[in-house]
Amino acid sequence: MNTRITRLFFLIGITALAGALVTAVFAQTQPEPAVRIETASPLHPTFALLDTDGINVLVSGQAISTMQTCGNCHDTTFIAEHSFHVDAGLTQMSAPGSVPGGRAWDTSAGYFGKWDPITYRYLSPEGDTLIDLTTAEWIQAFGWRHVGGGPEEYSREGTLLSDLPASVDDVETSIIDPETGLPIVWKWDESGVVEMNCFLCHTPNPNNEARVAALEAGAFGWANTATLLGTGIVEQVGDAWQYNAAAFDDAGNLLDSYINVQDPRTENCGACHGLTHTDNVTPLIFDPQDNQLWSTLTTGQVMSPQRLANSGLNLQDKDDLSRTWDVHTERALRCTNCHYALNNPVYYRPDETDTPEHLTFDPRRLDFGEYLFRPIHEFAKGQSTQSSLAPEYDNTLRRCESCHSIETTHDWLPYKERHTTALACETCHIPQLYAPALQSVDWTVLQSDGSPRREFRGTDPEQPDLITGYQPVLLPRPTSNNETALAPFNLVSAWYWVSGDPARPVPLRTLQSAWFSGDTYASEIMVAFDANQDGALDSAELLIDTPEKEAVIKARLAALGLENPRIVGETQPYSINHDVTYGEWATRDCDTCHSADSRVAQPLVLTSNLPGGISPTLIGNFPGETLMLEDGSVVFQPDHQEISLYVLGYDAVDLIDTLGALMFLGVLAGVVLHGGLRYFAARRRAPREVELKRVYMYTIYERQWHWLQTIVIFILLFTGLVIHKPDQFGLFSFPFVVEVHNLMAVILLVNAALAAFYHLASGEIRQFLPEPHGFFDQAFKQAIYYLRGIFRGEEHPYEKSRQRKMNPLQQITYLAILNILLPLQIITGALMWGAQRWPEISASLGGLPFLAPVHSLVAWTFAAFIVLHVYLTTTAGHTPVAGIQSMIMGWDDLEVHPHTPQPETE
Amino acid sequence: MKDFKYIWIVGIVVTVLIVTIPVFLFIANPLQAGNDPWANMPEHPVHTDHSHLITGEYTTGQEVTARCLECHEDAAHQVSQTAHWTWLSDPVQIDRFDEPIQTGKANLINNFCIGIQSNWPGCTRCHAGYGWSDETFDFTNEANVDCLVCHDQSGTYVKSTAGNPADGVDLVSVAQSVGLPTRENCGGCHFNGGGGNAVKHGDMDESLYYPDENIDIHMGGYNFQCIDCHRTTDHAITGRSMSVSIENSNQVACTDCHSTDLHEDDRITAHLDTVACQTCHIPNGAVREATKMEWDWSTAGRDDIEEDPHVYLKIKGSFIYESNFVPTYDWFNGNVERYLYGDLIDPNGVTVLNAPLGGINDPNSLIWPFKIHRAQQPYDTVYDYLLQPKTVGEGGFWTEFDWDQALRLGSEVVNMDYSGQYGFATTDMYWNLSHMVAPKERALQCTDCHGESGRMDWRALGYYGDPMTWGGRTTPSVETAAANGQAND
Repeated sequence: MNTRITRLFFLIGITALAGALVTAVFAQTQPEPAVRIETASPLHPTFALLDTDGINVLVSGQAISTMQTCGNCHDTTFIAEHSFHVDAGLTQMSAPGSVPGGRAWDTSAGYFGKWDPITYRYLSPEGDTLIDLTTAEWIQAFGWRHVGGGPEEYSREGTLLSDLPASVDDVETSIIDPETGLPIVWKWDESGVVEMNCFLCHTPNPNNEARVAALEAGAFGWANTATLLGTGIVEQVGDAWQYNAAAFDDAGNLLDSYINVQDPRTENCGACHGLTHTDNVTPLIFDPQDNQLWSTLTTGQVMSPQRLANSGLNLQDKDDLSRTWDVHTERALRCTNCHYALNNPVYYRPDETDTPEHLTFDPRRLDFGEYLFRPIHEFAKGQSTQSSLAPEYDNTLRRCESCHSIETTHDWLPYKERHTTALACETCHIPQLYAPALQSVDWTVLQSDGSPRREFRGTDPEQPDLITGYQPVLLPRPTSNNETALAPFNLVSAWYWVSGDPARPVPLRTLQSAWFSGDTYASEIMVAFDANQDGALDSAELLIDTPEKEAVIKARLAALGLENPRIVGETQPYSINHDVTYGEWATRDCDTCHSADSRVAQPLVLTSNLPGGISPTLIGNFPGETLMLEDGSVVFQPDHQEISLYVLGYDAVDLIDTLGALMFLGVLAGVVLHGGLRYFAARRRAPREVELKRVYMYTIYERQWHWLQTIVIFILLFTGLVIHKPDQFGLFSFPFVVEVHNLMAVILLVNAALAAFYHLASGEIRQFLPEPHGFFDQAFKQAIYYLRGIFRGEEHPYEKSRQRKMNPLQQITYLAILNILLPLQIITGALMWGAQRWPEISASLGGLPFLAPVHSLVAWTFAAFIVLHVYLTTTAGHTPVAGIQSMIMGWDDLEVHPHTPQPETE
Repeated sequence: MKDFKYIWIVGIVVTVLIVTIPVFLFIANPLQAGNDPWANMPEHPVHTDHSHLITGEYTTGQEVTARCLECHEDAAHQVSQTAHWTWLSDPVQIDRFDEPIQTGKANLINNFCIGIQSNWPGCTRCHAGYGWSDETFDFTNEANVDCLVCHDQSGTYVKSTAGNPADGVDLVSVAQSVGLPTRENCGGCHFNGGGGNAVKHGDMDESLYYPDENIDIHMGGYNFQCIDCHRTTDHAITGRSMSVSIENSNQVACTDCHSTDLHEDDRITAHLDTVACQTCHIPNGAVREATKMEWDWSTAGRDDIEEDPHVYLKIKGSFIYESNFVPTYDWFNGNVERYLYGDLIDPNGVTVLNAPLGGINDPNSLIWPFKIHRAQQPYDTVYDYLLQPKTVGEGGFWTEFDWDQALRLGSEVVNMDYSGQYGFATTDMYWNLSHMVAPKERALQCTDCHGESGRMDWRALGYYGDPMTWGGRTTPSVETAAANGQAND
């Protein structure tokens, strides 16, 4: 009995000891216990990690095949085939120079094949003798911004890269040996290929560093596995990879706590696309010159919910910057909320043109299971000038107005429709980028570390560490309904050497050989560039600004076997659609655009100097011109008039204003001269005794409508002037003046209509109608009187009377004003107002660029007429003010001339 | 009409009217006035200089009070009706009692220094009166009202044991200096609640004497005094603290001055149905000076722990202080479930001494920010209720370090049985944050509460999940779920 108990205890003891030992060993090897992350899908079932042969990696020890592992449930082949992120241009590759809108050496519209001067390296096409990047080296250099699959898996003909026959002459199976500069065979069977990397977007903290390190090391097949480093699933031991058995259950499936499969989060997108920062607590800090923060580098866009004032950046006037970097990130939106998978049933939008009229919502949707099996990985996108891949998906994303109601929120904005047609939402809602952005890249020279000379905008020129941000340039962008609207852009210019015919960018290796001998600049270059002979090239020296310097580099490139090396410059516009703001931070002051320094016409600096004197070619069709300023810097000056925009308060046709002013001043001068002569003539002449007769000349209504019209016309002329040249009248609020102008126009119109009715009804209209018979004789007689008789104190040829208040010249003048000028002014004015109400009609009559100058010219004519009109009233009565008095009081003192024949009256 | 001499005046008037009336009718005034909180600021009369009115020699505070009352006849009576004098609320009817009860510092237990009963001389330093040293204090004797503590402007007035003026205070110059209460007057007691600067509230401390706007926008940005918000008539000061006041009355509110439709953003305005202003506008508590978050009385009395006022004191035990803490959020309708002497506790659980009432289904409840102060404090292990120790004075714990004796003496005073067996139980007190309002540029943003890294525990608040995606409290499913008892409160 005792022994049995002893044995039992012994057994228990041994078992416990062994258990403890096993536990201890496990505790040693087991990494940090995995925590299921809250953002992960709560439903994702457990699964086994499979290698390319479909064998559990725990068994085979091979790299994880995402296509096999995820492909167990999801149709990964379908996904990879329906993803421009994967394809990157591979399936559309063509011979250099045949890409629409591309450079002479571009071979596709995508990342794989479209050369970019910022990254410079060139994927050499088949058949080139001078090779820059082979496929393998492209993956090493550019794979960090590619999700795998596509060109990292298949050849340009569609063969699996590892199935290609090895050949040292094929850019797809070779790599340039950095030692010799000669191609050697790339062993795809050893390196493996990079499959589409599901983990990169669908796990919460993918190890991008380890992935990129594997790519750069040429361990392509392990890159996707490396993405999981740090999750506790796999570890790196030396160069080898080991799976952690503790992360798997007995069946070889991952334990639930290790499965963090998720919808892509903002950070996942940010790994390739630019700076994202969703942690609102930690102050945002980043290096604005970091090539890896792609969109941030090229545009200054930062996706962060943080207020600028709370960031860790050295921003100018930071304390006042209470706005957030991006309102959508602030409002907890993710990239995928707008850039969703096109068949995601939550976001799916049926083609509106196909929707029958009786439906506002079509509830028929893809089943979630179907969607998860085959989610189309073509993501909804906008239309960026810098990305030419997959244009068939342009504007598939929900644009601003598909979520936001402009109707209810922009009532404060005068001419709402006009503004929202002419301007993209981004123009006012991304008024400024607060991070620096690339301005230019100059590869014609190399800095001592081998990098190009770069300039950034958005920093203080005096203190480069102080970030000022910049205002993007406004250029026309096609809208989804085939119109154009001004939208914000950054312009990145680049200069670089090309050679040969057809042209190719000079390979980096060759360029480096031309510049450096060993680790230092070649002595020939120092002689040519080191002006102050201090043994180093500073930023003022490292610049091709003389033909001599250019010749040195050219000769050195030619000596390396390059044919006709030459400098090319280009300017790439980058669309800006993020970093949106609202409320007081959006542009809402009319003066921003409606003033002499209009935002619409604001130029953007391209560079502080022109390498080789080469003016860069703007990529794309944008109106405007590249100008060199006096200080040698070069700007792009957009021209909005070319797209038929006329900005009141900024645009003015100088010719019209000059003509108008000349006319006005001419009339004024004539009046002064005539009046002066009259004055002196009258002094020389003895005063005339005349008999006066009081006549009730103007009825009370006639006087009322006259003076109302007077004051309204004065206000119209003044407010019109303020609208025309708001900078000269800074006191007045532009929108208020515009509204007053419109209101006065209505009063004028009503007053004119009532007066017309009165004159017609009362028969007084005949006062305005010249008698056809003998009109010219009479007019001539009247003109002669003004030119001669009036100085001699002669009597008026046509005496004013109750029945005939106007002389023939007056009649013809008023007839012209009332029948030509007034209608013209009313119609042009109404059409300008109507540019938002009935834009088609306004546009068909020339639009604002035609209507506005006509309106201005007529306004000048009116102003001139008023001068003349007021002056002529002084000639009408027996004293200079008699005419005005009669229009005030109604009574006129008429001279009695018994001998003068009175015009016949009816 | 033809010969009417002044017809031109009529003409001018008619013309001007025709032109101007439409302008006023159709064009919105560009200078439209918004909500102006300043319109609601109380105006304070210019205070009379008292220096020439006060001449006498004074040896006691009561003499000064008598002088004050010569002119301000009703003042002492008015003060004697307020909680600053009685340390009790008006009677409140609550469910578990037949009669209305009065609560206040005078008769409640807390989890800082635990209670004033048996400890009067120490605690009543902050009483607006003179001589409250034991239970015999005569609250009807208005001669003991202390005018100076609130009205001294010399900055030299200091109160001592039982609220009497400290030795060496020049009562004449203090009395001559009197004026309207400033932050210094109120702060002398309220910034030092719990026995020292910043200890108690989590939103009030001495940094408010000279604050910058990032500490408190009202006091720092606009130099507010306490009485600008805590409006006062006849010495009755508005405001209440949920630590002692159990009913939602006499409350000061942001909306006393600010309009509820001042947010330009509809999304924010929609939050006002659910979220107290304080929740967004006081993103953190104890912005500068650290406040006491935990107090463990059980370690008190030991000599082997090094003393540090912010870590351990022999007389009080161990503390944890925190500054700029993230508040705890909970529903609050203004009413409080108060622990009273004798209420049973679960010694293994956490006893909340002043639980905020309300919940997701109570339309009067809003989500509020709280400081929660957690303590280990003595309780009777036999009777399962919290005990009142005598700490101050003869036989008190602070001199004898004898828990048993201190608890026995204390229990006698509060007239409770003490079994002689004591232990330490965990208690929480809630302190809703209403001061230290941040500038609007520092208010919480969406992602501070919503999304992946939000600070709200939505399920604990009774939601299915983040209401941004799961729906708010008015979503029927959430209400039903909460009504089925799945939510808290």
